[in-house]
Amino acid sequence: MSDVVLALAINGLVWGLIIALIALGLSIIFGLLDIINVAHGDLFMVGTVGGLAVTVATGSFWLALVLVPVLGFVLGLVLERVVIRPTIRQAALTIVTTFGLSMMLQEAVRATYGAQPRRMAPPIEGTVPLFGIDYDVYRIAAALFAALALAGFFLFLQRTKLGTWIRAVRHDPETATALGIPVARICGITFALGTAMAALGGVIAAPITTVEFRTGVDILPFCFMAVVIGGLGNLQGTVAAAVLLAVMEGVVTSVSDPTVARIVSLAVMSGVLLFRPHGLFAGATR
Amino acid sequence: MLSVAGLTADIGRIPVLKGVSISVAPGETVALLGRNGVGKTSTLRAVLGLLRRTGGSVSYQGQDLGGLAPHRLAALGLGYVPQGRGIFPLLTVEDNLCLGLKGKPPADLFAELYERFPRLAERRRQAAGTLSGGEQQILAIARCLIMRPSLIMLDEPTEGIMPKLVSQIRTEIAAIAKRGIAVLIVEQNLRTALRLADRVYLMERGQVVHEATPAALRETPDTVHRYLGVAL
Ligand SMILES: Nc1ncnc2c1ncn2[C@@H]1O[C@H](COP(=O)(O)OP(=O)(O)OP(=O)(O)O)[C@@H](O)[C@H]1O
Ligand SMILES: [Mg+2]
Repeated sequence: MSDVVLALAINGLVWGLIIALIALGLSIIFGLLDIINVAHGDLFMVGTVGGLAVTVATGSFWLALVLVPVLGFVLGLVLERVVIRPTIRQAALTIVTTFGLSMMLQEAVRATYGAQPRRMAPPIEGTVPLFGIDYDVYRIAAALFAALALAGFFLFLQRTKLGTWIRAVRHDPETATALGIPVARICGITFALGTAMAALGGVIAAPITTVEFRTGVDILPFCFMAVVIGGLGNLQGTVAAAVLLAVMEGVVTSVSDPTVARIVSLAVMSGVLLFRPHGLFAGATR
Repeated sequence: MLSVAGLTADIGRIPVLKGVSISVAPGETVALLGRNGVGKTSTLRAVLGLLRRTGGSVSYQGQDLGGLAPHRLAALGLGYVPQGRGIFPLLTVEDNLCLGLKGKPPADLFAELYERFPRLAERRRQAAGTLSGGEQQILAIARCLIMRPSLIMLDEPTEGIMPKLVSQIRTEIAAIAKRGIAVLIVEQNLRTALRLADRVYLMERGQVVHEATPAALRETPDTVHRYLGVAL
């Protein structure tokens, strides 16, 4: 019994880190472009499908791990130009356009890749003993990849000129423009980065989830909950909330079932909205 | 050097600029005065393309700014210190300072600025939001200077600043002008404006209604009272 709790808690941590990566993409896009990107889960789904497709085509998961986020970045640049920019600063309209984008992505994948769910063999086989249970090595590797990507992204935001510009545009696009920062291009790059992060999350998750055109539908609400609980615009909060929620859902699932776990998550989110509308971690990094 | 003719602009559906014409010559200091809400800030924003122009023309050093993307103006030498300073509070002082530069600043200019503003040097690694209001204003001005502008537009640089620091900011602006940089300053503080400026425009309801030298304005206090509502 306690083994099950532990295993599901660790699973939650692994998933939490992957979802943190995806939710962080959602969060930077929201913070910079004021866009509620309903298609973000589908960009994750495209990442899982792309990960499987590239692995099958080239025989190398590791190539997919590098290539798919790069392709995701390019896809993000195109989508921002064609879909997002025409409706920018009209938050309500972006829900409609990204919802349309979501359907197009799903149907495009169904039309080309097919509707049947598939599974992908993990690139690293085997288990290791972890706190007295046998645990998949790949899941640990997946958590590690996600954590590295998260750390890399925060370093990029803090330490590079482009990262500094992204933070500046987020805070005050007008003054940034007057200082010579190409705000429209920064917005495009940010959307592309968010897309690349969702795609990377997709590749990392592909071996531990089912790969199909609907995967994004399940992940999106979870990402939104993480963003809300972490506090809108609080990037570190988003990461912490994603991990916290996933571990909590894992533990609740072990004593009950996934539906109850989701209900608990929603209750937590409602509580946060009621009592701490700026997020669980407001004040820490605002 | 800067020439604005018949500039019009709307905010929402409301026309806030109804044909503003002003000019600034090289090295000249020009003040734009007027009561609250007459369109001073809007004038600066429309010149910079931050507020969409609906009519009129803006040219800088002979170049028409009509078709130019707003973020290109900084590279032409147009500096801007917005109302409320426009500091990025979560970025470090140094990141704020270098924000408009592509890479690292030229070492000599950097050293010179830090020598001139020792408070900024001391706190270069701290978040700019921890600076006092006056220090933030100095930072905003230094951030402008590091880009070597030929014209600086300042929007109410002494607004909400401790009296002690107001004179320092005034001295800084005078020093900028002395180095041959043209200045277009929006100011509520009439004394500061008249002391700094070579020429003054008075605005009312989206239009320039009067142009004079500070000396001429001092001769006609009733004009000042009529447009600014204050006594000299
Ligand atoms: N965001 C906005 N939404 C609606 N109206 C606005 C907005 N910003 C400015 N205005 C209006 O536009 C007009 C011009 O404003 P502007 O900021 O240019 O005036 P100002 O002369 O700079 O005033 P102040 O001395 O208070 O800074 C004002 O009547 C103001 O109420
Ligand atoms: Mg103003």
